[in-house]
Amino acid sequence: MAQVPVQTIHRDPQLFYWILFPITIVMILTGVLRHYASVLMQSAPKKLDQKAIREQRSLLHGINLRGNFHALSKKSFATRRDALVTAFESGAYLKDPERAGQGQPNPLSDPSSMEGMMGMMKNQMAMIIPNTLIMSWINAFFSGYVIMKLPFPLTIKFKSMLQAGVMTKDMDPRWMSSISWYFLCIFGLQSVFNFLLGSDNAASQMAQQMGGMGAAPQMFGPGVDPDKQFKAEAENLAVIEHYSVLDNVEERLLEGITV
Amino acid sequence: MAPSLLFNPAKLPPSEALQLAQQAPVVLQGSSSETVDQWATYENLLLACLRTGDDEAAAKCMDQLEARFGPDNERVMALRGLLSEAQAENNGELEAVLKQYDAILEGNSTNLPITKRRIALLRSMGRVSDAATALVQLLDFSPTDAEAWSELSDLYFTQGLYSQAIYALEEVLLLSPNAWNIHARLGEVQYMAATTSGSGGGSQQKYLAEALKRFARSIELCDDYLRGYYGLKLVTTRLLKEQAKQAKQTDDGEFTLPDPKTIERLDELATAKLSEIVRHSTLKDRGWRGYDEREVAAARELLSQNGIER
Repeated sequence: MAQVPVQTIHRDPQLFYWILFPITIVMILTGVLRHYASVLMQSAPKKLDQKAIREQRSLLHGINLRGNFHALSKKSFATRRDALVTAFESGAYLKDPERAGQGQPNPLSDPSSMEGMMGMMKNQMAMIIPNTLIMSWINAFFSGYVIMKLPFPLTIKFKSMLQAGVMTKDMDPRWMSSISWYFLCIFGLQSVFNFLLGSDNAASQMAQQMGGMGAAPQMFGPGVDPDKQFKAEAENLAVIEHYSVLDNVEERLLEGITV
Repeated sequence: MAPSLLFNPAKLPPSEALQLAQQAPVVLQGSSSETVDQWATYENLLLACLRTGDDEAAAKCMDQLEARFGPDNERVMALRGLLSEAQAENNGELEAVLKQYDAILEGNSTNLPITKRRIALLRSMGRVSDAATALVQLLDFSPTDAEAWSELSDLYFTQGLYSQAIYALEEVLLLSPNAWNIHARLGEVQYMAATTSGSGGGSQQKYLAEALKRFARSIELCDDYLRGYYGLKLVTTRLLKEQAKQAKQTDDGEFTLPDPKTIERLDELATAKLSEIVRHSTLKDRGWRGYDEREVAAARELLSQNGIER
């Protein structure tokens, strides 16, 4: 039985010290730098004026009433509902009542929303620029050869990922090149950053990308027409069929509790 | 449980507050490196020191907080105001603090901590109706503030305006529907409203019916809540006494009283549970130690009034 000979490649042990370590250290340092840069660039959340707060919280008030109406008796729920529905429909809580019904304001013309977008741009830039730089640095200096062998076997599919830039068809996928070490660092340094900077750091780009994708549609963001929100909420409130958690509470209590 | 500087309970017994305030020298000389809990500790230490009259240590805490967060931080501003309220020696100085608050609010009307300090100061200066007006203004632009609603309820309650107090408490419940203490509090206010509403008959009965249900709900949410059982016992005792003259009930969206048999069973339940709590906490049994001694004493009193042996 012919055994597949174990591939051995004689590497200069110095590769380890001059490539692997530098890449890792540079990655960690950029992560730390990015964290502090984004802390510095963060602008304080913008102050809302009293009318804007009133608008937002009144809407929340309506949502709360819709969600927790069961804590009230039917009569007190009905009075609240009537008052809120009238106020919502007449636009009493709007920040600027005369703009009601004019449809969506253009988000680009609103200076406050521009600021939010600038903040997002800044974050994106802080992520993209260092990544491009490091990647071109690695490509310029360290491309084209393998630097280490992973201590565990891998399937052939990993070849294109781990041996990027090496283009040798028959080489075992366990051998990896410097650019793949770079990718491993991108994905694997999260826990290192957590350890160094605390768990809510801005160093890891992965977390930021996830956050960008999974963010819920903003409730009070730019481009949302508060008048429409109020009308929709009024409609939601109007259709509620009231029940109270206090109905039959005595029976439930007597069944549930034994001394 | 030993008091901790990391929490700020609403009602700290004097002995525990003293215990906390005595930690001041140690905390203030503590290490210079910043820890997670450091600033919460400073804030609570400040409050404990003010409570025990140690203005000097409180001022030191204040300086540290101000050095860290800057005098423009809203929370720091409120604490600074609290400190100057405590250091004011006569009414004139308090007026000066009040003017200061007004000036701050002139510049930034959304500064909630200062708004609340101003209301608290108005109240402690005895200008209750001014305080109520200011609270109503605050709640107009921020109706999702449970703390403000419960303060408003308390204000109305002290003035005897029960239906307004009930309304405010219901708003608190909308914000936190599972707060058993608020359910019980609402029951208490309703019971008192029933007691003072004279011989209205109908409205009195409505109040009692809802109070009964509120207490029951509070117990359902927390089945060891002494105040809930106490209130339940009060209501059932009264209902059983007045059973004969109960008016016919109409169904107009209000809660109706359960039938007398259920009330009787609820009464038994409350009595049994109350005497259990009193017995265990008098003996200081393991697992029964969290009760306020005064509340247990009141429960014992209630039980002995009703002629029940412990």
